[in-house]
Amino acid sequence: MKAKVVLACLLLVIAALVAVPWIASYFYVFIFTEILIMGLFAVSFNLIFGYTGMLSFGHAAFFGVGSYATALVLIHLQWPFLACLLVSMGVSAVLALVIGYLSVRLNEVYFAMLTLAFGMMIFAIAYQWRSITGGSDGLAGFTLGSFGLGIDLTLSNPAVYYHVVLAIVGIASLVLYVICRSSFGLVLKAIRQNPERVAFAGLNVRTYRLVAFIIAGTFAGLAGGLIAPFLRVASPELIHWSTSAEPVLMSILGGTGYFLGPFIGSAVFVLLETWITSFTGSWMLVLGIILALMVVFFRKGLLGTFLDWWMEVKK
Amino acid sequence: MKQPNLRKLMVSMVTAATLTAGTSAYAEDPIRIGGIYILSGSASTYGEFAQKGIDLAVSEINESGGILGRDIEMIYEDSQGKASVAIQAARKLVHSEDVDALVGLDSSGVAQGMVPTMPELQKPLIITHAATPDVTGELCNPFTYRISVNVAQNMKAAAKIASETDAKNWTTIGPDYSFGHQSWEYFGDYLKEINPDVNLMSDTNFPRFGAEDFTPFIDRVMDSDADGVLISVWGGDLVNFVRQASNRGFFEKDLELMFTVGAATEVLTALGDRMPEGVHLSTRYWYDAYDNDINKRFVKAYIEEYGNPPSYNAEGAYAAIYAYKQAMEAAGTTDGPAVAKALRGMTMEAPNGTVTFREGDNQAMVSPNWGISGPMHPEHGIRTLTDLQIFDGEEVARSVEETGCKL
Repeated sequence: MKAKVVLACLLLVIAALVAVPWIASYFYVFIFTEILIMGLFAVSFNLIFGYTGMLSFGHAAFFGVGSYATALVLIHLQWPFLACLLVSMGVSAVLALVIGYLSVRLNEVYFAMLTLAFGMMIFAIAYQWRSITGGSDGLAGFTLGSFGLGIDLTLSNPAVYYHVVLAIVGIASLVLYVICRSSFGLVLKAIRQNPERVAFAGLNVRTYRLVAFIIAGTFAGLAGGLIAPFLRVASPELIHWSTSAEPVLMSILGGTGYFLGPFIGSAVFVLLETWITSFTGSWMLVLGIILALMVVFFRKGLLGTFLDWWMEVKK
Repeated sequence: MKQPNLRKLMVSMVTAATLTAGTSAYAEDPIRIGGIYILSGSASTYGEFAQKGIDLAVSEINESGGILGRDIEMIYEDSQGKASVAIQAARKLVHSEDVDALVGLDSSGVAQGMVPTMPELQKPLIITHAATPDVTGELCNPFTYRISVNVAQNMKAAAKIASETDAKNWTTIGPDYSFGHQSWEYFGDYLKEINPDVNLMSDTNFPRFGAEDFTPFIDRVMDSDADGVLISVWGGDLVNFVRQASNRGFFEKDLELMFTVGAATEVLTALGDRMPEGVHLSTRYWYDAYDNDINKRFVKAYIEEYGNPPSYNAEGAYAAIYAYKQAMEAAGTTDGPAVAKALRGMTMEAPNGTVTFREGDNQAMVSPNWGISGPMHPEHGIRTLTDLQIFDGEEVARSVEETGCKL
């Protein structure tokens, strides 16, 4: 029964998401595109944060590099869109392998600092290598070509692009969900709770952490590959540590203990940002207050708090 | 389970239909124009001056019957000087606020990102400040126009002036983004063309835009062999730069200094007599340079309203609103593509004289103004410009072929 309700709710949400271009004001097509992409970015981050217990402050490196990869391929090679996304994922995966290999051996604050340092190194490269990355301006002025696989889509139409993003984020989330629910995902959870015990059980904790790190980086790269054609710019800000903080905030807002938590966090984050900046410039102040309240009173995030309340009501 | 969902869907569909119907314009609805400027941070005075120019034009037009019998209403968004923010702002203005046209953009980096998205929005954009040649070059499109001087025009004028000085070793201090880099590239190319003997030093200085401390760059130039410096630092940065440079004795050295946007009244007002005398200052429009009725009226009204003389940014923004008035009245509609088409090749009278949007690249043929900083103005509290030169906008422009624009 419970599974059926959850499934029904999920289908309803998906139906509503598919219908956004027809039922909501056109502006919300852009808002929901951003929510989905940032949601995927946050979910990929939560694989290492919520599941494995590694707090990375450099996750935007993969997101940003993914966006630059797509932008560069679109500018210089004009490959189909799907090919661009594969390049983004590939480049991010390799980068995650390198950074992860050097970082996962450390724990907690050392791991956080090391990922922050690597993230800022990638940022500095993008910021300074003007001839390739466009320096502080980033890369802009690319046009979207074909989709790939012989499917005829006008990607420059925002509603079409939204549906493409919805489909790709949906598939990617499903893959991530399967990973989280697999025995591999269970080991990750066990590592978060007690790495020593996992090690005593004969499993190589470092390898598991590295693989989780690479998977997270790859999907962050995919999110980056989706954001560049959406923003029409790949800029160093996408790599900056302040962008790395966004999935952290989104995960905490939505609830780190739930697979869909970061998506909820992303939705709340983007919607609040849009609404609040229409009234006041001090969006960060409001965000800070909300976050402080969340961490003090609602440790399980919005989704977790809601589910607890729901269970309570049903009783 | 199914019934209420269906009802919900019906309700939303009806709501959507009503909303769409509600947006179709009635004659008495105002014409909405979206303005995207830097309204926060170190360059925010530019956004404020643009707003002042626009508000003046809007109140003048609204008092004399509006456009096509409708008032103008402005809606502003802060670009924060970031392309991604500006693109989102443009989408919000067009799709959520239903604006009929856009004006704005203070930064080349922002313009490069936003201009390629204009055809998707199907609304005209008149750029009033951002100067990168690319947006009326490789990136040009039928919806993007520029009413202000671009880097290529201004640097051709600058190169002419530089070639008449004794300086042989040139370097630059400019913001570390497209504007700073492109200013130096165009300046160097044009200067070499006129005078192949000059030495363009490889030691260039590009502090981050918004950097507060310019002293390392100032020291580096003072220690080098440079005898000519192109300074394209602008906005609040330029104010900081001049203060720090004068503290370090930079202006006592025997250097030819060319400030590519130094005669912006925003900067001159902030600096007062701390802006040194005897340096080359440029601006896209100098309020004292044009002896025509429109300019006299504009400058007078502006000073009466705000207490200080208008800057080029205020003038560009002011003129852009009048450009829309003329184009919308010519088109007889506020429909985006029709207004964009009416702007094509349009000639109008503006404070800086007769302005024509060139058909080949939609760049207005407007004149860079260069002068030498003189004594303080007795009333306005800013430096005057002496030896004022008004370059012919068309003469200093790239040819349409050179721009790479294909319209």
